[in-house]
Amino acid sequence: MGASVRALRALLLLAGFYLLGLAMLAVLAGVDWAAALWAPSSLAVKLYVVSALLAVPIVRGMFMLRTPKDDAAHGVLVTDAQEPRLWQEVRELAAQVGTRAPDEIRLTADMNASVSEEARFLGLLGGTRRLHLGLPLVSGLTEAQLRAVLAHEMGHYGNADTRLSAITVRGRVQVARTIAHFEERAGGKVAKERARQERKNEKKLAKGKKAKEVDTTGVGLTYRSMAKVYKAYGHFYLRATLAGSRRQELAADLAAARIAGRDATASALREIPALDSAHDFYMNAYATLGVGAGLLPPPGEVFGGIRHLLAARAGELAELRRELPTEPASPYDSHPPIAERVARLEALPDDGRASEPAGPALGLLADPGAALVAVEQASLTPEALRLRRVDWPELVHVSMTAHFAQEAEPLRRATAEVTDGDGSLDALLNALDLGVGWEIADRLPKSDQAGAAKGRAAREFARPVLRRGLSRMVAGELIDRGAARWELSWSESASLRMPPGHEDDLPAALDAAVADHPDTAPLRRLLATV
Amino acid sequence: MKILLWVVLTPVVLLVLGAGVYFLKAIVEGAIEGWRSDPGAEEAAERVAALGLLPAERQHTELSAPQPRAMTVAVAAARAGDWAPAAALLDGTAAARDWERRTAYVEKLADVAAEDDAWLTAWEAARPDDPGAALLRARSSVFLAWKVRGAKRARYTTAEQFEGFHRTLARTRHEHARAAELAVPGDPSPYVGEIWTAIGLGAPHEEMHRIWNDITSRAPHHYEAHFSALQYWCGKWHGSEALARAFAVKAAAEAPPGALMTVFPLIAHFEHDESDSADVDRTPEMYAAVDAALADAAAADPDHPRLAEVRHLLAYYLYLQERWEPALEQFRLVDGYVDALPWRYRGDPAGEFCRMRDEAAVNAAGEVTP
Repeated sequence: MGASVRALRALLLLAGFYLLGLAMLAVLAGVDWAAALWAPSSLAVKLYVVSALLAVPIVRGMFMLRTPKDDAAHGVLVTDAQEPRLWQEVRELAAQVGTRAPDEIRLTADMNASVSEEARFLGLLGGTRRLHLGLPLVSGLTEAQLRAVLAHEMGHYGNADTRLSAITVRGRVQVARTIAHFEERAGGKVAKERARQERKNEKKLAKGKKAKEVDTTGVGLTYRSMAKVYKAYGHFYLRATLAGSRRQELAADLAAARIAGRDATASALREIPALDSAHDFYMNAYATLGVGAGLLPPPGEVFGGIRHLLAARAGELAELRRELPTEPASPYDSHPPIAERVARLEALPDDGRASEPAGPALGLLADPGAALVAVEQASLTPEALRLRRVDWPELVHVSMTAHFAQEAEPLRRATAEVTDGDGSLDALLNALDLGVGWEIADRLPKSDQAGAAKGRAAREFARPVLRRGLSRMVAGELIDRGAARWELSWSESASLRMPPGHEDDLPAALDAAVADHPDTAPLRRLLATV
Repeated sequence: MKILLWVVLTPVVLLVLGAGVYFLKAIVEGAIEGWRSDPGAEEAAERVAALGLLPAERQHTELSAPQPRAMTVAVAAARAGDWAPAAALLDGTAAARDWERRTAYVEKLADVAAEDDAWLTAWEAARPDDPGAALLRARSSVFLAWKVRGAKRARYTTAEQFEGFHRTLARTRHEHARAAELAVPGDPSPYVGEIWTAIGLGAPHEEMHRIWNDITSRAPHHYEAHFSALQYWCGKWHGSEALARAFAVKAAAEAPPGALMTVFPLIAHFEHDESDSADVDRTPEMYAAVDAALADAAAADPDHPRLAEVRHLLAYYLYLQERWEPALEQFRLVDGYVDALPWRYRGDPAGEFCRMRDEAAVNAAGEVTP
């Protein structure tokens, strides 16, 4: 099949995507017309109502087919004057690929780089071309690797010989986006209904009535079923164009290898999944660690801090680079599995470019620090921007202390209830000595199995919960007295530094305090020596 | 318009007709079934009642044989918080050096202490270094660990349950050691309990051999020790079918008649039998194994605390071998109590016991009156 025939087919398929809604409306209209002709009037009226109900999501769905414009452009726009080296690099790459250079470069906070076009006329004509460049990705790549990634992205719009195939790419993006949008709408409806029912339940509880189970099964049904129809067509579209798209991806890889070098391209591909999981981990375990305590790392570090993690965990990253995903990321993904792409690239003859200098890609920016700060300002929500900024060691110490205090809270409250006091560590230790520890433990949250257990078995379920809460309270006490401090580590989890000897003696002291014959003396001795 | 009506009505009418036919068929089949099987069942019920055998709802599902009165008293007293009768019972076995009875009592009392140990704690406080209390402490913690784990398969057991199981079981190690330290010289009981910790924690074979030496040097033919060790060597725990069978055959060959060791080849067979037909139970080897166990049971002390368990298994295999008269004989000797192999592994132990017993009874009647 020639390129032009393929493009024509893609065009028809894309048109079909838009015609789908019209066709469904036509079917409904036909049914109504038939009913008006042959059915008794009572039945006809019912049919009118049903078809009107069905038509609503179809009509709304057709409006949804338009690409939501707001997600097209985001990030920080940088001009030629601001980032001359970056622009020069991108222009050179575009020339080598044989395509038009982007009209805009925007720096983002994503672990990703992409070239997109604000398509006009149902996605058939190109518009403003944008390069979205995620700074976390730039932080993790060398210059040569970044060049390979950009060459690949521009290669999609490039291949001068198959210019028409751009239609397939645009169509694919459009289909995936529409489906995602539909699902989001259906999901939003469900969330709204859930919130409404939960509010109602709260009112019921306030009046002393029993709350009903929240049930959202029927909600968003019309949207979900519409999404199903479009999804089915989307699958059909993607299957019909998949082979071609995969071929294009591999061609783009080859173009990238030609421009950036075989080894840089292959290593960039190996790097991306590793960086992806490192980024997820970083955002969860470091960047947002202090949000609960109202803290963020210093300006520029929210997205830029990943550099410390990447430097400290080189071994783990090497492990991740070795294990490449062998499945495509999603059924809508036009990319062949990364393992396959890397294997193809590494099978190419050596181009002798492995020894080319490989400085960090961040060096392409005029002032990486300033760029990271600017991206933070543009991508964080106003609420997040209002959080207090503290340096990393302080952030870890304060957040972990708050986290531990929160974990100790149920035990503190249970102790206060049982001893009719303030729920302090001292009160808990006295309660343990008096043998009411199990009574306190009984008020802590339980699993189903623990709740069903009786007698000694119930105690065995409660023991680790009680011990954990006690250890949190002891840690809080040591921190309050300035005897212990949380220590940041980029290569492993944060750890609580205690006075010498305490770390070794604490586990046994905790065990003794929650034993069947509780003995709090070792714990009290430990606390007395700080 | 009429056509439209028919299009809607026809499938509905067909559906109703189909359902009607289906129910009619079920009713007729049920009637025929009842009419066919009723006389046989009546005959069996008459015969069973004439032999003085009990219906399923009157079978005791928590015992394998009648319980000694002293034991019933000790359990009731323990539940009420009084440890003295239990202590007297265990002291008696130590004085008589009756290790079979000692572990049998420990097993029952430990089950009580696994639920609530207030009485045992009181006992420990009153008599700090009591060997019986130490035995119960260790064995009851083992039962407790299994209670925490629950009886479901690994897939339906939560991480919390597994963690509690391992933690509780790990603690029993020093409880067993303490029981062994305090034990009356020659008493194998602490090590019998230790086998169950080894099973639960997956102790290596070397450790099992060490425990086994500690037991056999004190009591070479102890029933519960062999029963527990055989479990360890089974394929479902830490051995294999070959290891279990070898262990069982060796135990049977080395024991004097009346020690009941000949039941272990049958248990090893039972634990690894996955076939759906009784052919594997009717081999010459299995006939010989059943005959040996029959002779062993006949030679055993009629008061042996494990004799009933052997008879239960004998009844089952004699039934499978269609030796109706001797099968019925064993069924009659243990009737009224069903907490034993093989019934213990079944969903409805009493029902299964009575079904096989009644079949044996009917067929045995057929044999005498040709």
